[in-house]
Amino acid sequence: MSDQWTDRLSAYLDGDLKGSERALLEAHLERCEDCQETLASLRRVVMRARSLEDRPPAADLWAGVAERIGAPARTVGLPVRRRFTFSLPQLLAAGVALAVLSASGAWMLHPVVPTVTLVQPAPSGQGEVTVTPVAAPSAARSYDAAVQDLEQVLAQGRGRLDTATVRVLEQNLALIDRAIAEARRAVAADSANLYLNSHLAETMRRKVDLLRQAVALVAAES
Amino acid sequence: MLLLLALLQQIDSTVPVGRGQRLEVNAFAGEIAVSVWNRDAVRVEADAGGSTRVEIDRNATTVSVRTSGRRGPPSDVELRITAPAWMPLDLSGVNTEITVEGTRAAISAETVQGDVSANGGDGLVSLRSVQGSVSLTGAKGRLDLSSVNADVEVSASSGEVNAETVNGDVTLDAVDATSVTATSLNGDVAYNGPIKSSGRYALSTHNGDVTVTVAEGTSASVAVSTFNGEFTSAFPVTLTETRKGKRFNFTIGGGSAQVTLESFQGTIELVRPGQFQGARGDDHGDDDEE
Repeated sequence: MSDQWTDRLSAYLDGDLKGSERALLEAHLERCEDCQETLASLRRVVMRARSLEDRPPAADLWAGVAERIGAPARTVGLPVRRRFTFSLPQLLAAGVALAVLSASGAWMLHPVVPTVTLVQPAPSGQGEVTVTPVAAPSAARSYDAAVQDLEQVLAQGRGRLDTATVRVLEQNLALIDRAIAEARRAVAADSANLYLNSHLAETMRRKVDLLRQAVALVAAES
Repeated sequence: MLLLLALLQQIDSTVPVGRGQRLEVNAFAGEIAVSVWNRDAVRVEADAGGSTRVEIDRNATTVSVRTSGRRGPPSDVELRITAPAWMPLDLSGVNTEITVEGTRAAISAETVQGDVSANGGDGLVSLRSVQGSVSLTGAKGRLDLSSVNADVEVSASSGEVNAETVNGDVTLDAVDATSVTATSLNGDVAYNGPIKSSGRYALSTHNGDVTVTVAEGTSASVAVSTFNGEFTSAFPVTLTETRKGKRFNFTIGGGSAQVTLESFQGTIELVRPGQFQGARGDDHGDDDEE
C-alpha cells in the first residue's frame, strides 16, 4: 500500500521537492501504481479544497461547530497562500475534514489550511503504512457533530421553506444516506481500498454540502 | 439614484451604465431573462402584478434590479433585461427561471426552483439550482455548475469545468477543458472533448455510468475504479496493474494527461468521439419526479 516515497507525495504536489529528489520520485512514480493512485487522490482533495476557496459560508455556524471539534478560536489575519499537506493516513480523513471545515465557514476564517490531524499518522519510514479508514473515531465524531448541527438548524427552519423544496432536499439527503451506507459496507469489506475510502469521504462531503445549502436557504428566508 | 417604479404593471426603463459596473438582479419568483446589446445601458422591461414592485438602483459599481412585495413575498415577475455584453451578471431568485443569452462577461446565477440556462460567459461562470436543471453553452473560463435534483449540461465551452449534481446526469459535450471535475451521486457522467496532454479529468458517480470519449492520438494515464460496476472500451487497452477490488490503471499514448474515472456501481466506458451519446439518462432506481 505504501513505500518510502509515499510521505513525500504531498511535498511533491506542493512543488517542494527539488533536483535529484524530485527526479527520483518521478522515476518511482512511473512504475509504482500505488503511488500514482495516492497522488491522484491527493490532487482530488486539493482540487476540492481549492474549489471551496471562492464559496462564501452559507451561515456562520463556526462557533458551535468549533466547540464540538475542539478547533481554535476564530483568528483574523492576512490571507496566505494555501498549502495542502497530508500524509497518507491523513489523506483518508481529509475529505471529511474538508466537509466539516467548509460547513462551518472555517475556510473563510482560517485561510491557511492546517495539516489535517484528525487521524493519527502511522509511523513513517520503513515498513507498511497502516491505512486508517475515514471512519476513524475523531473524524467520524467531527463529521457527525457537523451534520447534527446542520440538521438541527434545518429542522428548526424547515417551516420557512416551500414544501416542494423540503421534499426535494429530503429525497436527496436520503439518496446520499443510502450511498453512504453502501460505501461504508464496501469499506468494511475492504478497508485498505483507497478508492472506497475516498469515495466514502466524498459522499459524506456531499451530505454536508447539501445540508449547508439547505441551511443557507433557511437563512435566506429568515 | 433610486427609481421606484411602483404601481406600474408594465415597466420599461433604461439606465446608462459604464465599465466597472455590474448588474445584480433578484426576483423572488417568475423569470429573469438577460440578453445583450451594443449600448452602454441597461434596459429593464417587466410585467409585474399590482402587489409587486420593481426597484432599479444604481451606484458607482452596481446596477441592481430587484422585486419586492407590498404585502408578503413578491408575485411572479417576468423580467426582461438587456445589458452590455461586457457587464458582469449576478442573478438570483427563489422560484425563478434564469436565462442568459450572449454575454461575454462573468456570470453568477442562482435559484432554488427553476432552471438556469446560459449561452455565453467569460471568466468565472457560476450557475446553480437546487431543483432545476443547469445548462451552459458557449462559455470560457472557470465554469462552476451545480444542481441538486436535476441534470447539469455544458456544451461548446472551454476552460476549467466543475460540474456537480446529486440526482441527475452530468453531460459535458464538445468541451475543450484543461481541467474537469464532474460528479453525480445518482446519475450518469459523460465527457466528450479533447483530453489535453497537461489536463486533469476526474469523473465520478455512485449510481450511474461514466462515459468518456478518447480520440486517436490521446496521451493519458487512466485510473479506473469501481466497486460493483463494469468497464468497457471501444478500443484495446493494456492494463499496467490490477489491484484488489475493481481498480486498474492503463496508459494511452505517452500518458501525460491524468484521467480518473470512478463509478461505485455503474459502467465506466471509453468510446471514440463519433460514438458519444452523452449521459443516457437511465432510470437509476430513485424516483426524482415531482
